[in-house]
Order: sequence, then C-alpha cells, then structure tokens
Amino acid sequence: MRNLLHAARWLLLLPLLLAAGLAHGAHSVSVISPQTNYQVEILSHDGVEYVGLTDLMEPLGRVESHVEGNRVRFLFNGTESMFEQGNTQCRVRSTSVNLPAGFLLQDGRGYVPLASVSVLLPRMAELTAEMHPATRRLFVGVASIHYTAELRTSPSRLVLSFTAPVNPSTYMEKSRVRLLFRREPVVGAASSKVTYSDPFVRGVTFNESAAGAELNVQVAQPATVTVGDGGRSLTISPSQPAAAPGAQAQNAPASTPLAATSSPGQPTAQGTPTAARAPRGKAFVMLDAAHGGADAGAATTPAEKVLTLALARRVQKELEAKGISVVLARTSDVALSFDQRAAATNTARVSLYVAIHLSPEGHGARVYAPMLPPAPAEQDHRAFLPWELAQTPYLERSGQAATSVAGDLNTAGVKAQSSAVALRPLNSVTAPAIAVEFAPLEGGEAELATPAYQQKMATALAGAIAALRGRWGEAQ
Amino acid sequence: MISRRLQIFTVLLVLAILAMGGYFVHLKRKAEAIATPQVQQALVAPVNGPAETTLLFLPNDEDGTLHATSVTAPQPADPGERARLALHMLIARGLAKDSPHPYAPGADVHDVFLMDPNSAVVNLNQALVAGLHPGIQSEQLTLFSMVLTLKSQLPQLMRVRFLVEGKSAETLAGHVDISGWMDVIEVQQSTPIAH
Repeated sequence: MRNLLHAARWLLLLPLLLAAGLAHGAHSVSVISPQTNYQVEILSHDGVEYVGLTDLMEPLGRVESHVEGNRVRFLFNGTESMFEQGNTQCRVRSTSVNLPAGFLLQDGRGYVPLASVSVLLPRMAELTAEMHPATRRLFVGVASIHYTAELRTSPSRLVLSFTAPVNPSTYMEKSRVRLLFRREPVVGAASSKVTYSDPFVRGVTFNESAAGAELNVQVAQPATVTVGDGGRSLTISPSQPAAAPGAQAQNAPASTPLAATSSPGQPTAQGTPTAARAPRGKAFVMLDAAHGGADAGAATTPAEKVLTLALARRVQKELEAKGISVVLARTSDVALSFDQRAAATNTARVSLYVAIHLSPEGHGARVYAPMLPPAPAEQDHRAFLPWELAQTPYLERSGQAATSVAGDLNTAGVKAQSSAVALRPLNSVTAPAIAVEFAPLEGGEAELATPAYQQKMATALAGAIAALRGRWGEAQ
Repeated sequence: MISRRLQIFTVLLVLAILAMGGYFVHLKRKAEAIATPQVQQALVAPVNGPAETTLLFLPNDEDGTLHATSVTAPQPADPGERARLALHMLIARGLAKDSPHPYAPGADVHDVFLMDPNSAVVNLNQALVAGLHPGIQSEQLTLFSMVLTLKSQLPQLMRVRFLVEGKSAETLAGHVDISGWMDVIEVQQSTPIAH
C-alpha cells in the first residue's frame, strides 16, 4: 500500500517536473560552440532579457570579474571590458560599445542584454556569434552547420549536403519529407525557400522553431531518405520511378518515420537505387579560402586569410543562388594543412576545386592550373598514384578549367590570365583543380577589403564557375 | 679632514675618467660604422673571364610577366660560377630602386650546384625569401625568372630545385611549392614573357 502511494505521488509530480523543465528551457539560451554546448539562464528585468556575463563567457575561456562600486571590470582571456550599472555604453579594450539597454548589476553579478551578445562576443572573445532568436540558439565560433540543396535528374532526386554530419529525425507527411534537427546547429542557406519545376521535388523550405531547425521538402510522391558521406549528405528520392505529372502516385501515410539507410549505392529500404550513380559526388565545387589560423597569408589589411574567407562566402552565395551546390573547405579562421584540404576535397567528391587567394601585387586576377608532369600515355587509369601526383589524371581538365575561368573573368570585366604553377594542394586533388589569385582592379591594397570589390569578384568568379559547369554538362 | 689639494685632485681625476669614457664611446661607434657597411646589393665576386652576353629574365609584378634583357659582362669559365653570377645579376636588378619586382637588402643566392648537366640546385638565402611579397604570382615570377635565366646559361638544364639556407622548404614564401624539382620545359611553357 505504501509503495502504491509512493508511485502515485511520483505520477502526480512528474507532469509538474516536466512543466517546470519546459518553462526552464523557455527561459534560457542554448550556446553552441566548437568546444561545448551549454545553457545560459535568461533574466527578465523591466521587460528586457538579460544573460549573466560570467555564465555566458566562463565555458569559453578564462574569466575574471571584479565589482568596483557600481562598475564591473571583466577580464576574458586577458581582454579587459568595463561595464557600469544602468549605462548603455560599455568599453571593450579601448573601444566603446553601445548596448540596447542598460547594464544590470544584481547581487554582485553582471548581466548584459541578450540582444547585445552577438555584438559583444566578437569584441570580447574574438569569436563570431550568431543569435537565432526563434530558437534561442546562439552559435559561437564555427559550430553552425550549413547546407546546400541540389536537384538532380534521371531520376529526380534532391541531394542535401551538410558541412558536418547530421542525424535528423525524419518524417514522411502528406506531400512532404520533414527533417527535424533538434540538436544540430543547422542554419539556413542563402534562400530559405526554393521552388523547383520538377515532377518529384516541388521545393525546399527551411525554418527554425523552438523544436530546432527544420527542413521541409515538398514531394509529389512517396520518398525515401538515404544517408551518405558519413552523415554529411541526405538524398531524397522517389520510392518508385517518378510518375508523369498529372499521374502522381499516392502519398505515403501521414507522419510515417522513414527508415534511413547508410552508404549511398546500396538499395534503400524500398529497394530503389540511390544517388550514388551521379557522375560525381554531392557538391559541384569545393571553394577553399586559402590560409587560416597562424598562416595569415599575404600581409594585407585585414590579413589575406580573412579576405579569402569573406570572398569564398560571397562566391558560395552567388553559386547557391544559381542552384549550384558548394562546399567550403573552411568556414572559420582555422589552420588546415595542404593535405587536409586535399583530403576533404577528395572525400567530398566534388567536380571542381577552386582555391581562392588575394594579393596586393599587380591588377585583376590570375588563374592557375597545377604544374605537374603529364601522365604517361600508357598509364592505366586505375593505377595507384603517389599522393603528391594524384592530380595527374585531371591535369588536362584543370588546364581547361583555368583557361575557361580566366576567359569568363575577362568577359565579366576582370582582367585575368591563366598559367600553371606548382601550388599545393592542387597536386593532390582528385578532381579538376584551379587556384585564383585576385589583385586590386585599379586601386591599391585597400581596395581588396571593400564590399564593392569583393562582390564584383564573387559575381565574376561564380559566373565563370557556372559557365564552366554548363560547358562540362554540354560536353557530357 | 680631507685637504683641499686632495679634493681638487679627486675632482680632476673624475673629470679625466669621464672624458676618457666619452672618447672611448666615440671611438667604438666610429669602429662599428666602418665594420658594418650598408649591404644594399648582392656582392659579386670579381671575374677575369672574357665578356659575354647573358640573358636575364626580369620579373614584373605589375603585369605578371618576365622581361628578357641582355647583359654583357665578364664570365667565369666554370658553369656553376657562371650560373651563380647570372642569378647575382638578376637579383641585383631587383635591389635597384623602383624595381618592378623588388628584393629586400641582402637578398642573395648562396650557391648553384650542378648535379649533372641536366640538374641544378639553387641555394637561396633567408633574406631573399623573407623579403618577398607573399603571393602566388610574386613567388612564381621569382622562381621562374631564376629557372629561365639559368636555362639561358645552361642549355642542357632540364630541372631545378630550390633550397633555402641549405634546407629543403615546402613553399617559397607560403604559396609556391618548392619541395620538389621544377621541370624547366613546364616553366618555359607556363611563363608569360613580354618582349
């Protein structure tokens, strides 16, 4: 009898505890960083949401906080910041930063407005910070996962490529495949809604909710989802061959979780061949922003490593707007060895590798193909090659790509010439590979960092890559 | 009680010591100025051979080309020395004021080793590498200009390798790969040459 009472007490308490837990979740922000994921409680004060400075920064590095009257002297990894109770301005190093509401000092603890976090973190910790208000998720550093969607034909299928492995909850609902990323920091592509005039895939939408990030793929008939590339790609293909428009097959029952199979090439649960028969891999092009980490590259202002990454991101947006899927070799200021860059490219099985460099010397752009001895005529195409000569079978196409891209850059008004150079990691890439070095158009070094220059170069390079893709498609 | 005479003597002694110290510092600075001449150009050993014409391929960062220029100068008989002298002259042009492809003061080539008639190893000094403007074009032009200048001196040359201070390096200044041999024919085919 006592046991029954005990159990009943717990049964009554359980919903209360769950409700309390949900309420707690709603009043906290999830911080996702490369090192750790953690929650920071939100404090509401006079209608403004605040987060504790120490709670926010402590998991990211060494923190010291000294309260001096109504002022707080805060040190993060040696970087000093000064805050004052009620003041809407604070000082980080010697720079003044505006806060959307006054700094709050309560019980000896400092609080900053939640809305100011994405501004303060880059200054205090030199980390990028991106706040997603809908899901109360704060991405710090390189944690966010980007995706690209590429529609392929014969048979119609949609390939979603991610910058890191994902494991979403997958549901088949009426006319749509729902991919829910509860724990993964997936962020939207350049366009959150894409529509296709395809008999199978009608469109893709991305949105974020309290449950997490969600990708909805509108389909015209029952679909299967295949996981590939170690969780970095999801292929949504029809469970039967695509029917002609107007003679659509029946949709699957609503809210039916799909069985996801691994390794592309194997039959899916429904026995349909998957996207592995595509001539090449998941994304069309790998954009490699040269340098990174301790390797700053050319002595430009800001450093070449910063400019190359900014330019690569712009090219990515331009290409995605053209429906061309892109993978970035690096998405933050990290040091990658030449071998790591080549290995990532070869694993991604892209159709083209483009290394992006910038230089203050000269004008326009230089497009480089790899300089390697040509493959012997009698060489078996299946023969093993040394790592440093892995590019050899692709030399001819790399040369064609360099000439094509240089020509299209000239057409776009960017004076360009092509040549060959011994440049790593081009020699180890098992795909057509080129490097593009951009220089000022007319002005000096300062021009390299201007948005107008970067956008012009990004548009020109994206156009050249798109044209190259078209030419290769015609040739095939 | 110290006598007045002793006080005057002590003051004079201190003044003499200070004056001698000052003079010593002056002499030291003068000696240092004589001992460290301002090296602005690569030093070229005096040559007593017959005057011959050498083809130098001068890099131009502005247009990304190499400009072929003839220079007539006495040439040593030894092929390795001739090759080294040609590179000295090439670098000396880069040390000149307003050079379109500037080298830092002290930039030099230590040695050119001829492994066989087809292969040369060029040992660059650190000043040359450290003073380069990092970038693919800049590094490519530096290396290609040396390869083609060597080729003009050594017609049988087929491949060149570069060392920095006697050691193998992965890249010249962060971009162009110098970890292996450079094929002279490929360099000739890839070089934009302005005439």
